[in-house]
Amino acid sequence: MTWNKPKAVEIA
Amino acid sequence: MTRTRIPVLPRGVRLHFDKVRGKNVLLAPERALFLDDIGHAILSEVDGQRSVAQIARHLAAVYNAPEDAIAGDITEFIDDLADKRVIGFTDA
Repeated sequence: MTWNKPKAVEIA
Repeated sequence: MTRTRIPVLPRGVRLHFDKVRGKNVLLAPERALFLDDIGHAILSEVDGQRSVAQIARHLAAVYNAPEDAIAGDITEFIDDLADKRVIGFTDA
């Protein structure tokens, strides 16, 4: 597993 | 936010897997956010017991990545969620 910058995208 | 703070999911906020889209979602009253795998991994570790630093230490071992970089990413991520009022802290 590779670490990436986490993302959270608001759902319309 | 300092890394010693202990994040917690507030009442009414929970992790959910949307089977239709195959995506992890953070559900909160009146709003929802799609999470990527890393975002989900972080929030899965939020238990209201461990600090950001402790969570970073654990995930650094799991992902075999530099703890300081991970702690920075987690801090930024949780700060953003706190601004959206979908995560809180045990001391606030």
